[in-house]
Amino acid sequence: MAWEVSWYRAGIVHGWAGEHRHRWLLAALAVLLIFAVLVAAGMGAVEVPASAVVRNILTGSALSADQRIILLTIRLPRIVAALLVGGALSVSGLLFQGLFRNPLADPYIIGSSGGAVCGASIGVFLLPPISVAGFSTTALLAFAGALGSITLVYWLARVDGRTPVVALLLAGFAVSTMLSYSSYFLEVLDRNFGTSMRVLASWLHGTIMQPTWPQLAIVTAMIAIGLAGSVPLVHKLNTLALGEEYATHLGLSVQQIRVAVIVIGSILTAAAVALGGLISFIGLIVPHMLRIVLGPDHVRLLPATALAGALFLLVADTVARTAIAPAEVPVGVLTAIIGGPFFLYLLRKTKQEVIA
Amino acid sequence: MIPLVEFLGVSFAYGHRRIIGDLNATIFGNECIAVVGPNGVGKTTLLRLATGTLTPDRGTVTLESKSLGSLKKREIAKSVAFVPQNVEVPFSFTVEQFVQQGRTPFLKMFGGLSASDYEVVRRAMELTDTWSLRGRVFNQLSGGERQRVKIALGLAQQPQLLLLDEPMQHLDIGRQLELIGLIDSLRREGIAIVASMHDLALIEGTFFSVWLMSPDAPMRQGTAEEMLQPELLEEVFRCPPNYRDVLRERMRREPVL
Repeated sequence: MAWEVSWYRAGIVHGWAGEHRHRWLLAALAVLLIFAVLVAAGMGAVEVPASAVVRNILTGSALSADQRIILLTIRLPRIVAALLVGGALSVSGLLFQGLFRNPLADPYIIGSSGGAVCGASIGVFLLPPISVAGFSTTALLAFAGALGSITLVYWLARVDGRTPVVALLLAGFAVSTMLSYSSYFLEVLDRNFGTSMRVLASWLHGTIMQPTWPQLAIVTAMIAIGLAGSVPLVHKLNTLALGEEYATHLGLSVQQIRVAVIVIGSILTAAAVALGGLISFIGLIVPHMLRIVLGPDHVRLLPATALAGALFLLVADTVARTAIAPAEVPVGVLTAIIGGPFFLYLLRKTKQEVIA
Repeated sequence: MIPLVEFLGVSFAYGHRRIIGDLNATIFGNECIAVVGPNGVGKTTLLRLATGTLTPDRGTVTLESKSLGSLKKREIAKSVAFVPQNVEVPFSFTVEQFVQQGRTPFLKMFGGLSASDYEVVRRAMELTDTWSLRGRVFNQLSGGERQRVKIALGLAQQPQLLLLDEPMQHLDIGRQLELIGLIDSLRREGIAIVASMHDLALIEGTFFSVWLMSPDAPMRQGTAEEMLQPELLEEVFRCPPNYRDVLRERMRREPVL
């Protein structure tokens, strides 16, 4: 990855803030994130100025009753959902890239999002809506779907302990397409014709739905588990980058890491899909951008990826819901438009190094 | 003196293909052994058996009298370091980050590197003369630099035994001699070394013992002088009769160092 290296090595990035660059970056991302939340809270059909939002948090006043309702039941849940989905997809992208030893792995590309959608639509279409607190059975099925599809793709794409780009993309494409389309098949079996179909359609386009706070609580719990589980894994992924055999010689149990990454990556993907459906490429773009700045050390990349992913999707979702208001572009469409060319560029740039 | 590593009646096969049969051998703490034999005879397999990555079908491999099978991989990795032939890193890790991976067996579950870990890494890099490369990207190093950096990673494990798999491969003669010099200095540090070697001319003077592996006879062990005899090598390497004079001529050369 000559280009990436040249940035990383060149004085531009290397000289800046020196050894503590990652801390500065984290601080900068945190500040930007707070700023973005305040701005996003203000944007929409009813304007709520950021200053009023801050004053409301500080003093409990300064907002009218209408503004308050809009803020608490519409805008904030949506903002929190975007943050959660963005962070979860980016971190699962990072984990899968480490496991596959391939910078092109992304929950969408390798089919785990497709599996999650398939699992979730089984929940939506076939099971009676007995789920507790919003969508717990759906979330569980989404997790099972993500887990199943990623295991399948990993098994299909591995050649002698490596996952060549071609094998990864082909296996991911096939599995992801089969699973996404099987959701359309389930549509035929729909009991309450119409409503579930709309749910599915918005999922496949990747729209962050208007979540309720209990739904957010479940997803937050899933993502918290996923992030906590990632922490002991990241320095092992650094070692795994040297190859499975090397990692084994250094005393790691590759099998354990494999299972842990697949389970945790699937929890994160399923949580994200439950709220936002199929949102593509974000798990690819965010870790890659950060690798340019921070280098490939997964330990440093993990917190930065979570924050940057949250920021990225919040910005994208805010644009998606306000750009052509009152209509709304599904944010998945937006990330696909940005991410598709980026992915192709990466594929072209890395093909010699990764395929060889 | 307890042997560091001991092979006791070890047999190993990949599927039905028998690679190693009833091998008995010992590695002591101060030894420097070259493993020699034709391609595919099982030199790498032998090294892997000594790390516990491969488990023998019969017999046991012991580390300080304890069976490798009863030890945790991490514990083995603190005593035995394996330097593989080829490493392919998909991300642009710097040389220093690469060598730091040698501390993996010493890390706690959530732990990063401690000050003493950094010190060990630094010493390993100074010993291999790679400290000046620390900011370079591993993937962009030349063959000789890579080899030394991989050895630095092995040294960062603070091993008693360093296993080198074909360390001279793809190196020009200058880098080969440089590496021989490094092996000499590691030996003086008290680290036992076992290396699989193709270039027989580089063995004498540095490696005292030679293990000669042959596809259809038990492994022979002896001093370099005893093992590097044209008659033996002819047989082990199945040298075609019309090339025997060439082989004899080659082996008559003075050792390089």
